[in-house]
Amino acid sequence: MKIDPKTFTRDYNLHVCIQCGTCTGGCPVKFRSPLNMRRLVRQTYFAPDPSLFRRPEWWACTTCSTCTLRCPAGVKNVELILGVRNYLANQGEVPSTIRDALENTLLHGNPWGRFRDRRIDWAKDLEIKIIGEETAENLLFIGCAPSYDPRVQSLSIALFKIFQKAGLDFGILGKKESCCGNEIRRMGEQALFRKLSMDNTNLIKKTRVKRIITISPHCYNAFKNEYPDLDLPVHHYTQVLIELIEAGRIKLTGRSETLLTYQDPCFLGKQNGIFEEPRKILRSIPGVTLIEMERSRERSLCCEGGGGRMWTEGFTEGTRNAEIRVREALHLKAKILATSCPFCLLTLEDAVKTSGLADQMVVKDIGELVGEAIDSNSNNPIPCPPAGRLQIIINDPMTLFKTNYLVD
Amino acid sequence: MKIIVCVKRVPKTAEADLFIEKEGKDIKKDNLVFALNDWDGYAIREAVRIRENYGGEVFALTVGPEDSKEVLTRCLAMGADRALRIEEPPAFDALLIAKILARAIQDHPFDLILTGVQTEDDGWGQVGVALAQLLGIPHASIVNRIEIENGKAKVKRELEGGLEELLEVKLPALFTIQTGINEPKYVSLAAILEAEEKEMREIGLEELGLTSEEPLYAILDQVSFPAAGKMAEILKGTPEEVVTQLSEIIKKKKG
Repeated sequence: MKIDPKTFTRDYNLHVCIQCGTCTGGCPVKFRSPLNMRRLVRQTYFAPDPSLFRRPEWWACTTCSTCTLRCPAGVKNVELILGVRNYLANQGEVPSTIRDALENTLLHGNPWGRFRDRRIDWAKDLEIKIIGEETAENLLFIGCAPSYDPRVQSLSIALFKIFQKAGLDFGILGKKESCCGNEIRRMGEQALFRKLSMDNTNLIKKTRVKRIITISPHCYNAFKNEYPDLDLPVHHYTQVLIELIEAGRIKLTGRSETLLTYQDPCFLGKQNGIFEEPRKILRSIPGVTLIEMERSRERSLCCEGGGGRMWTEGFTEGTRNAEIRVREALHLKAKILATSCPFCLLTLEDAVKTSGLADQMVVKDIGELVGEAIDSNSNNPIPCPPAGRLQIIINDPMTLFKTNYLVD
Repeated sequence: MKIIVCVKRVPKTAEADLFIEKEGKDIKKDNLVFALNDWDGYAIREAVRIRENYGGEVFALTVGPEDSKEVLTRCLAMGADRALRIEEPPAFDALLIAKILARAIQDHPFDLILTGVQTEDDGWGQVGVALAQLLGIPHASIVNRIEIENGKAKVKRELEGGLEELLEVKLPALFTIQTGINEPKYVSLAAILEAEEKEMREIGLEELGLTSEEPLYAILDQVSFPAAGKMAEILKGTPEEVVTQLSEIIKKKKG
């Protein structure tokens, strides 16, 4: 349980660092904070001193894992960040908003501190199976944001309708579902993560479901890679949707011609290699033309929603990555910026609003797009922004490059 | 510095749907989560902060049911050295709680007693000052700063209108602590699990020379929701229609 900074070098392979700077070169927040991974690895190697760990930049990291994935030597950079945060959490020295998120999770089972009894309010008008009361083959693990956030609840409802239409045998855990803990671990609370993983594992194992389907890539990552005793297949909902589309169990109807681009969520794409399924789904929606942003797949720019950043104030300055991303999508003349992660959905939609682009672009989750494409009552479900105004914004495309966002 | 802190376990009701029990004497609590009273968390943190500066020990006390041990464990995780749970009488008022605490405290030497200003559930705000009276020690309420100097405490009290009152109080004394006096630290689950090893005692009312039928000065008659007012008018329609109606109303009222 105790975490000892003296073992950080061994625990996170700091001794193999060759100081090439690849980590810092790929970091999505290096222009937005003093976070300098190369320097932190070196300084921790020489002097793992608590005063070093109290620097605020340790909290700027979004745990997107670009640094770890690109490191040619095998340094576990992100795990180092989590180790330092765990050390700080055990000392009680976390930012107050993180403190509240962690305490809320222990008390209410979700970082927002919403009442547990309200966890399935989004489903109150739906005839949805509660696993435990009934049995089902597939467990749809809803997760905290899709349970409570009004914007993301529409994704939960869309997926329910799609799966119901496809005749999939599925259910949810209902009020007993607790936070998956992925973000909790990334905010430094490893003990609480272990408790959540045990609670959820015990709950899920009792139900005898055959497969877990997650809405959030963050839940997917936790179940797939970090729950030690789950022993069940875990699929992200995009993997299930393409399975249903290819088997002909759901039919997607046409829509008006729409140019669309896709944001790869870090925890789905670069960390878990799911790049193709979301793209296949988007291409199978009639009328949709998928165009790629210059930085996509492994090189996708993090939206800054991960690593506990949803519950952190400050530690970064300047233009948000999500705002940069929205401008990149706009530069392609995309009318829809699609994603497949609740956090990306929230950060990107905020960015569309703060950039004053709400009349030119909409942010949609793939689940919502598919939900609209199977709904035969809806002729033109997506309120596409009117054509013709795009030029006003991008009359000087070079303005895009005046910001310092090119991290590759 | 020997510091005693009195705490309470309370239900969290901010977002909960509340229902009143059949007898009309309390709310239904079976679906609620419980936690350490917010004010008491600040009091414990302040006691630990004072001990860090002046040495001594922090002793956490509660009057409550068996489940109250969980908030004492939290107090121990926050840095209290030992804890005591006293059995809760079947019915109580602020004075009886103060009396129980006074009996429990009389055998323990102390320099300082801290309580929260009030609790989130009953909100009496009386236990602290009643306890000071029963122990015959000076007190100050709604304290938002404490400095200890030569057997005296300089404390600031939060008054209305943003005013603060500075008092010098001879120790031993009792202060009721206001939220915001400090920044509570995060209490990790690891610290809570470790705290389960620390000393926690439990005693009954008989051991304090009290019975379960002590006289009460305030008797709870009824719990009810406030009657719904008739002043609010909810505008209905699309956002555009609502705005039109609203602007008409403002025009009529010459706003």
